[in-house]
Amino acid sequence: MNGVANGHLGKRKRADVFFRVLATAAAAVVLLSLLLILGTILWKSVPALSLSMLTHTPKGGFYLGKEGGILNAILGSLYLAVGATVLAFLLSLPLALYLNLYKGRASKTAVWTRFFLDVLWGVPSIVYGVFGFVVMLALGLRASLLAGMLTVALLEFPIMCRAIDEVMRLVPLELKEASDSLGATRFETALKVMVRQCAPGILTGVLLAFGRGIGDAASVLFTAGFTDRIPSSLADPAATLPLAIFFQLGTPFPEVQQRAYASAAVLTLIILLISLAGRAMSRKVTRHVVR
Amino acid sequence: MRLLKDALARRAMSFVAALPGILVLLIVIGLFLKSKAILGVEPLSRLLFSSAWHPLKGQFGLLAFITGTVWVTVTALVLAVPVSILAAIYLSEYAPRWVRESAKPVVDLLAGLPSVVYGVWGVILVVPFVGGVLAPLAGVYSSGYSILAGGIVLAIMTFPTIIHVTLEVFASVPRSLRDASLSLGATKWETTRHVVLRKGAQGILAASVLGFSRAFGETMAVLMVVGNVPAVPRSLFDAGYPLPALIANNYGEMMSIPRYDAALMTAALVLMLIVLFFNVLARRILVRVEKRIR
Amino acid sequence: MNGPAPISIRDLSVFYGDLQVLKNINLDIPAKRITVIIGPSGCGKTTLLKSLNRLLDTAESVRVQGEVVLDGENIYDPRTEVTRIRKKMGLLSQKPQVLPMSIYENVAYGPKIHGLKSKKDLARRVEHYLKVAGLWDEVKDRLREPASSLSVGQQQRLCLARGLAVEPEIILGDEPTSALDPQSSQNVERRLIELKQEYTVVVVTHILRQARRVADYLAFLYLGELVEHGPAAEVFANPKDPRTRAYLTGEIS
Repeated sequence: MNGVANGHLGKRKRADVFFRVLATAAAAVVLLSLLLILGTILWKSVPALSLSMLTHTPKGGFYLGKEGGILNAILGSLYLAVGATVLAFLLSLPLALYLNLYKGRASKTAVWTRFFLDVLWGVPSIVYGVFGFVVMLALGLRASLLAGMLTVALLEFPIMCRAIDEVMRLVPLELKEASDSLGATRFETALKVMVRQCAPGILTGVLLAFGRGIGDAASVLFTAGFTDRIPSSLADPAATLPLAIFFQLGTPFPEVQQRAYASAAVLTLIILLISLAGRAMSRKVTRHVVR
Repeated sequence: MRLLKDALARRAMSFVAALPGILVLLIVIGLFLKSKAILGVEPLSRLLFSSAWHPLKGQFGLLAFITGTVWVTVTALVLAVPVSILAAIYLSEYAPRWVRESAKPVVDLLAGLPSVVYGVWGVILVVPFVGGVLAPLAGVYSSGYSILAGGIVLAIMTFPTIIHVTLEVFASVPRSLRDASLSLGATKWETTRHVVLRKGAQGILAASVLGFSRAFGETMAVLMVVGNVPAVPRSLFDAGYPLPALIANNYGEMMSIPRYDAALMTAALVLMLIVLFFNVLARRILVRVEKRIR
Repeated sequence: MNGPAPISIRDLSVFYGDLQVLKNINLDIPAKRITVIIGPSGCGKTTLLKSLNRLLDTAESVRVQGEVVLDGENIYDPRTEVTRIRKKMGLLSQKPQVLPMSIYENVAYGPKIHGLKSKKDLARRVEHYLKVAGLWDEVKDRLREPASSLSVGQQQRLCLARGLAVEPEIILGDEPTSALDPQSSQNVERRLIELKQEYTVVVVTHILRQARRVADYLAFLYLGELVEHGPAAEVFANPKDPRTRAYLTGEIS
């Protein structure tokens, strides 16, 4: 009896150890894939990475391996993402406030609005790109910085709005009532209390959306155009970093492909910086928000 | 004056609240209107189930692209779901707190990397690996630009989605329920399998469906490594041509052939509707899970 | 089997991080008796109970010093197989925690993982312990239904049956009636009293009247310290420590 029991126990313990190892290995795979991606990109970019790449626009024949840099794409991406983020913010903040102050948090409107935001979050960026293009044509716009901004703003809107909404949901309602009872109108409550209380969280959401916006290629493929010049107005077409990487990699010339790796490293570093900044902010949230 | 401002703000805000719904509707309607040029003349069944893609002859069968998308997505999920769930099990059940905490930025960063970066990485590492190592092992020839390469890259891109949702589901299983199983003398794995996984089954399903809908619409990374040959793939080592890649490669330049334009719009519409369906499905499951746990 | 063994707690201290929640506890828990641990909430009662079957292991940053000796074996010895220790004890928690499976599977779960394979034996065991827990008549026609469909009172008795089905020697109850209505509470109390014929029972409660009804042996914990313990009748009639007296008269709670 005892022997049988021990044999059974041994089997169970082996299963326990086996799955512990398996689960640990799976987690390691996830971690390693990130390290592998970052490592590969950075390592491959070293030969082509240079300061002049960051400070020059492409000269003639850049995509054939001639002189130049990707300043046009870096600036184009920054302009575009900043513009799109501002636009998305102008929609996201009011909506998040509305969901948390004007409407009860669990009201029907709030539930449905959040549902559609989640649906929008799931819409593939290529669909935003196509939709943006259709709207652009309908409005008689050409592929331009402005059209790209509008499209990316659509893409960023649900991401930013849900992020801000999540932070605001953590604010206790008593805080709002305290301000209400002092005779403030809801509008003032909204602006002063909520925004101040959530400021770091809002910033994290904004940075998150900015990161998505600056990294997205499919949505700007048809809408922002592509040019070697630095855009000087909203109506100019604008190059973007993701597309520059894509086009460079698509050429048959090894030295241009090298530059694609370097450009990818630049984009990755930008994303890393944004993500670090977002982390620093979200750490502040937990410290300052009254729970 | 203050009251007026309040009323104005309220008016403006209720419009903003309706915006997400309106936007979803606008996208679907816009794509539909633009697809009408071809939906009107070609029967839907031929568009969806014919693999004859000869735009110049006026044949626009999307089958090769739809199967391409499905193959890549399913390959990605077959790789991503087990790894993600096991990783989530490790993080929620086995890992010490500091590991769990420091894993969060890793997962976030993986989610935040732009898809072109994944694509570049795929071209540098995954494509040669599939072409030079896996294909010879399987005894076939492959350039490496293949369904499998797309699936591998896409799998890594879906890790964060599935892990994130699964972790939330696991966190919602109360400690005391695990204790109940442990106090009967169950091992940690037995508890995980019979209690945590079982209690979280629906949530894990939702996480996978969400991963599916995310992977289904991914464009650039897949486009860069999948080969883009418009034929129905027959093996993992064949090239494929998913719907998003088709749109990205051809749209905007094909205005001269009106039906081509409409066919691509139909492709976008199909993509949108499929993603929408799975997305809504996943959300519904999650809402149900949340209700049941409360 | 030699029948249930007494439990000896020797110099037991428990720390959550830097906070010491149990201070040098020494206590002998008699076999085949109901030992009730009383004390105000937050005094460490539940921690003491959980230390008996090493459920504290699952919490992070918890440190345990001292010994808990069962059948001549220190359960905190690193060589001790924890699942075997836990199998010797059935736990009733504050809120009934039914597993996400059917009524039948809840009871069969324990025996199954411990290697009981025969369907017939399993069915017999499930029926037997559902009867012991006083639940059989209510559920015999709906064994395949999810356990969550039972009322809270029924769920708690199901948890009792589930705990008994692994054939433990000791039953641990962590305020096992706190989520139940008076009638269900009474029902559970009655089961516990019946069960002391064959099991060692340890119950934590903050309800003094419950302690008076069921306790054979009483231990009073205050701020992590074991203030007083002894036969229940003695302690109730003649508490030696002023803090015990204050607690029993309701001056501190």
